[in-house]
Amino acid sequence: MGGIQIEHVRKSYGSLEVLKDFSLDVSDGEFVVFVGPSGCGKSTMLKILAGLDAATSGRVLIGGREVTDLAPGDRDIAMVFQNYALYPHLTVARNMGFGLKMRGTPKAEIERRVADAARILGVEHLLERRPKALSGGQRQRVALGRAIVRQPAAFLMDEPLSNLDAKLRVHMRVEIGALHQRLGVTTIYVTHDQIEAMTMADRIVIMRDGAIQQVADPDTMFRRPANLFVAGFIGSPGMNIIRAPLTGTAGSAEVQIFGQRVTLPVPGEHLARLKNPWVLVGLRPEHFQLGPGAVTFETPARMVESLGSEKYLYLEVPEANRLVRPDQPGAGTIVATAEKTNTSEADRGATIIARLINPGQIAQDNAVRLSFDPANLHVFDPETERAITA
Amino acid sequence: MRRIRTSIFLYCGVVLVCALLLFPIYWLFVTALSPPDALQVLPPRLWPAHPRWGVFRDVLAAHPILLWLGNSALAAIGAVALSMSVSVFAGYSLSRFQVRGGQSLGLFILIAKMLPATLLVIPLFSIFRSLHLIGNLWSIVLAHSTLIIPFTTWMLKGYFDTVPRELEQAAMVDGCSPLGALFRVILPVSTPGLAATALYGFVLSWSDYAYARTFLTNAQGSWTANLGITTMKGEYIINWSDISAASLLVALPILLIYLFLERYLVGGLTAGAEK
Repeated sequence: MGGIQIEHVRKSYGSLEVLKDFSLDVSDGEFVVFVGPSGCGKSTMLKILAGLDAATSGRVLIGGREVTDLAPGDRDIAMVFQNYALYPHLTVARNMGFGLKMRGTPKAEIERRVADAARILGVEHLLERRPKALSGGQRQRVALGRAIVRQPAAFLMDEPLSNLDAKLRVHMRVEIGALHQRLGVTTIYVTHDQIEAMTMADRIVIMRDGAIQQVADPDTMFRRPANLFVAGFIGSPGMNIIRAPLTGTAGSAEVQIFGQRVTLPVPGEHLARLKNPWVLVGLRPEHFQLGPGAVTFETPARMVESLGSEKYLYLEVPEANRLVRPDQPGAGTIVATAEKTNTSEADRGATIIARLINPGQIAQDNAVRLSFDPANLHVFDPETERAITA
Repeated sequence: MRRIRTSIFLYCGVVLVCALLLFPIYWLFVTALSPPDALQVLPPRLWPAHPRWGVFRDVLAAHPILLWLGNSALAAIGAVALSMSVSVFAGYSLSRFQVRGGQSLGLFILIAKMLPATLLVIPLFSIFRSLHLIGNLWSIVLAHSTLIIPFTTWMLKGYFDTVPRELEQAAMVDGCSPLGALFRVILPVSTPGLAATALYGFVLSWSDYAYARTFLTNAQGSWTANLGITTMKGEYIINWSDISAASLLVALPILLIYLFLERYLVGGLTAGAEK
């Protein structure tokens, strides 16, 4: 058992920097999820932790012991791979006991620990089978079993659920969570799926282009995203971002949204020093309400998607609130967010999504009357993309 | 209806190709069983009137074919063992490690193979003479290795490329050294590839004539099968029946090996490593 300290780790391939000054302190028994889009450096960081890849600079400590230059086998960690990486020529029992055998554990002890792990994971009846005779879910369990028999200081998991079908993934997500509760071993879990991150993590580390964007517990991550990227990444559908012209910064900040003057939940002086006469404002799809409220507006619903108990309304955004120019600061992030929700950049600027629970019948292209609470608005600096808070 | 027609065409094609490939072997068999004078008859008979089934026993009694086969086997096993022990490491390195010029090095190995064997005969002869290896089976082992290593290195590199890297990473996390991961995980998983490669090398060595002719002619006790058979040809009389019978005996071991290793050659042992 032990925590993990990552101190100023950098990794570059020639001039390409894939990890930029990564520092993180993981406490003993904590479940930390690294999440981010493909190529953000999360798997590289995991490989550096495992010793399968060398950092260009920086230090790694596991259980208080510096392991930066140690071989993977000497780090007291176990790893679960995306494709399971079970040894195809060995039976399940020998797959699970392989790491112990390499460490010279007595045979009786190996058998006992393999049996224990097999019982925990419900694979006792599979011990004499070869991996090719197992289903995807069973292979996944064996891969987990291979990790837990070692009783390591930390588990490293590299997208372990991405090869499973949707139903099994949800099931295994719960099982891994329960396993972590039971064993209490420090775990670093890498995924690109924000739902896995939100449901499993004690703390989430969001990464983008090799740099940490925010480290926080799931709730904080959702409620107080540090920047535009985090706001777009966490939540499904992602946060709506619109461009809001500033109408006043004396006292409290005021902007115009959907033709209404809206008081932002940040002091005006925070916005007074901005270069642009406008800010980016974020509002989560679930923060819209049907009918009148604190800020009420009317706009046509360009498309209505029904998911049974809830409906997604694609609302037309007035010209003044559209993210028109692609060279505009923040546009890059917004494009990434748009890709995530499968709408084009143009659509994204011209429509936003409202998620309504049991709203009744809503006809497409008809104007709908909606409202939102300005307290739920997020304000971002268009230059730096950082959140502006009170 | 169209499907049946396609099948008929397909089967006809298969039969035709098989007939083309098997005809030389069949004709070798017919020639071996026919009395020598019957071979001069036109049109040739598709099956001899009185097959000489004793020809194989007679040939074995008249010529030291078993000794030749033994020499061929020793040379082939030696060359394959030497080549495999070099190309396992070479192929693995080319597959896994990115070194400056690695790609060109791989191509260079292949270019070495493109040189015709006859081009290497003279330099090899002078090297072996200074090492006092002429007339010694070791000369053949070494010479064949120069032919086999480029092929087997590339074949193994190709095979190792298909073995997921995560397997050795998992082995290293489990406590293996990089070399330990190779021996404990990668090689056992690569058995089909190793068997196919070794067999290929074996056939290359077994079918050599040029090197044996150059390095072993004066050492009768070390003659390989291919070299031995050519000495059965007299200056004035060529007994094609005996030569055909001997050729069949020499081809037999390769046929048997193919039959026994067939399951490894097509096997997919890596199945189940991944999702």
